[in-house]
Order: sequence, then structure tokens, then C-alpha cells
Amino acid sequence: MRKLKDNLLKSLIYLSAFITVGILVWILGYVFSNGIGLINWNFISNEYNEKTSYVEVKITNTPLSINQESLNEKAFYNQKVDKPLSDAIYSEKLGIAVMEVEHSLRGKKENQFIVAYIENGSEAGEALDKSGKKIGINLGDVITKIDGEALEGKDLKDLNAIVSGSNESLVKITKPGYGVLTNIVTTLYMIILSLSIAAPIGILAAIYLVEYAKPGKLVNVIRFATESLSGIPSIIFGLFGMAFFVVFLKFNLSLLSGALTISIILLPVIIRSTEEALKSVPDAYREASYGLGATKLQTISKIIIPSAIPGILVAVILSIGRIVGESAALLLTAGTVAKIPESLFASGSTLTVQAYYVAKEEANIQMACAIGIVVIVLIIVLNILAKLISKIFNKANY
Amino acid sequence: MTNKKNRNIKEEAFRYLFMLSAFVAVVSVFAIAFFVFYRGLKPFVGGDHGYSLFQFLSGTEWRPGKNTFGILYMIIGSIFATFGAILIGVPIGLMTAVFIAELAPPSLTKIVRPAVELLAGIPSVLYGVFGLGVIVNVLKNYSPTAQGQSLIAVIFVLTVMILPTVISISETALRAVPKAYKDGSLALGASKIQTIFKIMIPAAKSGIMAGVVLGIGRAIGETMAVMLVAGNPIAGIPTSLWDKIRPLTTNIALEMGYASGLHQDLLFSTGVVLFVFIMVINLILNSLIRKKIG
Repeated sequence: MRKLKDNLLKSLIYLSAFITVGILVWILGYVFSNGIGLINWNFISNEYNEKTSYVEVKITNTPLSINQESLNEKAFYNQKVDKPLSDAIYSEKLGIAVMEVEHSLRGKKENQFIVAYIENGSEAGEALDKSGKKIGINLGDVITKIDGEALEGKDLKDLNAIVSGSNESLVKITKPGYGVLTNIVTTLYMIILSLSIAAPIGILAAIYLVEYAKPGKLVNVIRFATESLSGIPSIIFGLFGMAFFVVFLKFNLSLLSGALTISIILLPVIIRSTEEALKSVPDAYREASYGLGATKLQTISKIIIPSAIPGILVAVILSIGRIVGESAALLLTAGTVAKIPESLFASGSTLTVQAYYVAKEEANIQMACAIGIVVIVLIIVLNILAKLISKIFNKANY
Repeated sequence: MTNKKNRNIKEEAFRYLFMLSAFVAVVSVFAIAFFVFYRGLKPFVGGDHGYSLFQFLSGTEWRPGKNTFGILYMIIGSIFATFGAILIGVPIGLMTAVFIAELAPPSLTKIVRPAVELLAGIPSVLYGVFGLGVIVNVLKNYSPTAQGQSLIAVIFVLTVMILPTVISISETALRAVPKAYKDGSLALGASKIQTIFKIMIPAAKSGIMAGVVLGIGRAIGETMAVMLVAGNPIAGIPTSLWDKIRPLTTNIALEMGYASGLHQDLLFSTGVVLFVFIMVINLILNSLIRKKIG
């Protein structure tokens, strides 16, 4: 009887652990299997919004260096969303090959002419727009018009005839969007900005708590504050950021408002981990330093901080994970504009905010998952980095 | 002599700099409370452009267009969702903690523990995407309303999200139980499982409770994941697991982008209600921790 009951409970325990791990595997599996199809270099390097512009390509008459067969083999298209409808057709005048594909990324299918190959020595990569800004034609760009003639409905075999200019050809290209470069850059800005605010304050605060403060009311108040901060949900931080930074200080929905709000969220994380790092510095170090006649400040800056650096580094790395994962607070303080912010006062959406936006507003689960892969990989790398540092640190010091 | 004086000034200056930094956290807490409460309570005291506190707290309709703002159904939705998540999540979390702390062979611990850490590190948006893509889709097939976005979808998503919190705090609590308790029980002839359930878990009770309370805090404050799977209706107290709900948090996040005037202030009021919940939870947590130390 007892054995039966024991085994029953034991299997419940194993089952629970299995469920926990199973859910993680399920989530990761779901995100990866749905998103991996979109992951390629274009996804990382494209901006979110597509950009259409007219560019002038110098006509060079570059002969094709490979034969048609190898051209078709080399032809570039994104296999997950594009189905080729024609051979790649090479234009000697432009030095590029164009291919018609059926494109189906946003739920609807449309035929597009994409740049499938660029010959060495072609001037296409150097193409300028009318204002003289270098745009350049890249693989995967969509061509809609050449010298005023729309390609739609045309047979690509006549491509060389469509190029009518003699010195220059005016090509209307659309740089494909649906990439996350914008959001990666915004996320990086956000990391740099909020860490440069929160890290110094958090580290200095931890130094005060460990090295200076004597137990008493003052310390209790500070401890109460940091503990309260870590219990507040991020949507409340968002509300505060909105009321204070966005409205009261008139920073608007911006990088700065977002970074300041995140800095407050990070404070308890950084303070607590730095405190741990400082506490693990043996008292003998301090005593030896004082014994040699060093002042308190000298001891802190020359002895304690250098010994605690790995621990502090781990705190900083873990906070990067926090910044990357944050979304609710940023939604209310930094907005959802998918453009690379041009100044501190411009709005911008980080990766996670963008994942929310595409999942909620565009019902594009595939894209949300693809962004998810980028975020998860980032977080795993950060976690491993933090572990490595603390491992090396533990070996080195004691 | 002057050198020494300079040194002293420098020492003092830095001492104040350190102290000042430590007070940033204190100032932040007060500023957060002040701004959220100030904006959130304004509608209830202001004359003409005000709104009745009673109607706000007891209303079951949220129609900004018609100037009707009631959040009772959101409060109930939030509580139901949190309660459901605790009901499912705590047993699973506690048992997983027992597994890691007591039963697992080292090779399995090496898998389960990083898995829990990774689960804690996944951004909440992705839980929402998973909930929308998997949980909502599966539930759709069983729901009498043929809609997957529902209270039960929220409960499932929140269950997964509180697991890491419950597991890590419970594990710490279990490990803190003095070894003598365990040895004593085993020496008296109790089996390993009996020792765990009769000795270890009762001894670690207050620590485990702290994990549960933290889990409640996480569940009630969760926004982004919940927003994607809750359905967010404009009215109606949930009466079944298949009803859509609109938790307090998502009400704020959904409409803050375009709200203005009274509407915006009342979103802050929603935040105040949430804030009060969190404060109560933190008070309980503090007393639990104090009890553990005492």
C-alpha cells in the first residue's frame, strides 16, 4: 500500500518535471518551426517598411559571364515565399538578370519581377536616385518599371528591348520590407541608452549599500524601495513613463522616454546583483588595503571594484536580457513606429514590441515567430555568456 | 596638508554621490506612486469632467465612445485568470521543484534547471504568440462558441508563465530545509516520498507560499502575452471558462495609444486598481518573508 502510494506520487513528480520541460520544448519548437522559414540574410538586413525609389543605372553592356543554365541555378530568390515563374533573363545593358516569381508573404499572392543576379562589373549596385543619393540595386529588389514602362504583363524575353535609354536607364525599384533591421538597431540603441543610465546609478547605489551604509532606517527605506520596484509590473512602469517622461517632461513617445523608463525597471536587478558581487569580495582585501594606508574611496576604486568586475559584468549582461524582453512598458513610452530613430526624441519599436505589433495588428504569426527566434537566440547567448563569466570568475579568485 | 584636505573633500563628495544614487530607487518608487495615483484619482475628485468612482468600480461595460467606463468585469476577469493559473501552475511548479531539489539524478537536473531558466528568460510577447498560434487554435476546436480567445486560454498562458517563478522560489525553500529534518524522518523509517510530502514540504511552507504570492503578482501584472489571447471584450462578466475576458492590464495597454482626456485618466485609474492589488500582494509577501526569518 505504502509502496503504491509512493510510486504514484513519484510518477506525479516526474510527470510535472516532464510537463515543465515539455512546454519549453513545445514553445521553442513552435517558434522555430514557424519562424525559421523567414530567417535569412534579407530578414536581418531589410528594414520593416518597403521603400520604392527611381534609380538611374549607367548602361555598360556587360556580357553575361555564365551560361543560361548556371544563371538559373545561381538565380536568387527566397524559396520559402517566392515561387519562380520564369527563367532568369539577363539584360546586358543593365548587367542584371530579372526573374518573375509568385510572391506570397502577406497571405496574398502576387507576381513580381525580382533582381535575381547581378553581373560582376555591372553599374547597377552603384545606381543613384534623382537627388544623387546612392541607393544601389541589390539581389531581391523588386523592379516595377524600366524607362517608364511597367513590367507587369510583359514577357521578360523582351527585357533588353524595354531598356530604351542609351546612356542611362531609369529603373523603379522597391526594396522589399518585412525585415527587422529597424528593430535590431532600435533595440541596440535602447540597450546602450538604458544601460548607460541604469548601470552607473545601480552600481554606485550598490556600493553605498555594501560599503557605506550602516544598518538602520535609511537602509531599510532603500531596501524597501528596491524590493517594491522589482514587484511592480511593467505596465505600471509604462503608465508612469507615459505620465512623467512622455507627457510631463514632454519627451513624447521616444527612445529617451523608453530608455529612462527601462532604467528604473533595471535598477533593482543591477543593484541586487552588484551587491552580491561586492559582498563576495573577501574582507581581507579591504583590511589589507586600509592597512597599507589607502582611504575608503581608494580601496573601493582600486581594490573592491576590480575584484567585483566579473560579477558586475554578469549583472549588466542579465539586464541586457531584460531590456530585450521588455515590451509592455515600451509600448506606452517608445511607441510602435517601425523606423530607425533619428534622434533621442524619435519613436522606435524594439524587436519584442515589433513581434507584438505584427502578431496583434497584422495577424502575421510567422513574422512574429521569426522575430522570436532572433530574440531567443540573443537571450540564450547572453545567458551562456553570463554563466561563462561567473565560471571563470569563480575559478580565478578562490 | 592641503593635499590631505583635498583628499577628504573628495572622499566626502563621493560618499554623497553613492548615497544619491541609492536614493534614485527611493525617489523612483515615490514618483511612480505619485504620478499614477495623481492621474488615476483625478477623475473622481474633479467636478465637471469627473466620473463617479462607484460607477467606475461597479460598471460592467467599457465604452469610451459612449462615456461609459466600468471595470468590474475586468477586475473579475483578472482575478479568475490569476486564480486559475495558480490552481494549475502551483502543483506542477512545486512538483518540478521537488524533482530538481530531491529526486532528479544529476544528469536530469542538468536538463531541467536550464530549461526553467530559459522559460524565465523568454519574453512575454512570445508566450502570447505561442498562446495565439497554439493554445487558441486548439481551443477553437472544443469551444462551444468556436472562438479560442477565452478565459481558459489566458489561464493556460499564465500557468506557463508563473512556472519559473514558483519553481525557483520553491526549490530554494526546499533546499533551505535543515538536513537533520530529512535524516531524522528517513531514520524513523519513512520512505523518501513520505519524507518529501510529510516533512520537507511542510517545513518549506512559508518559502513556497512566497513563491505562490510572487506567482500571483506576475500573473495579475502580465500584459503582453495576455493581450493576445484574452479576446478583450467591451463588456460582460465572465461566467464560463470559454468567455472572453479583458484583464486590467490589457485595458491599459490596448487603449493608451490613442486615449485622451477623461478616457486617458480613467486608464490611469485602471492602473491604480492594479497597483493596489500589487501593493496588497507585496505586503503579504513581506509578512511571509518576515515570518520565515523570525
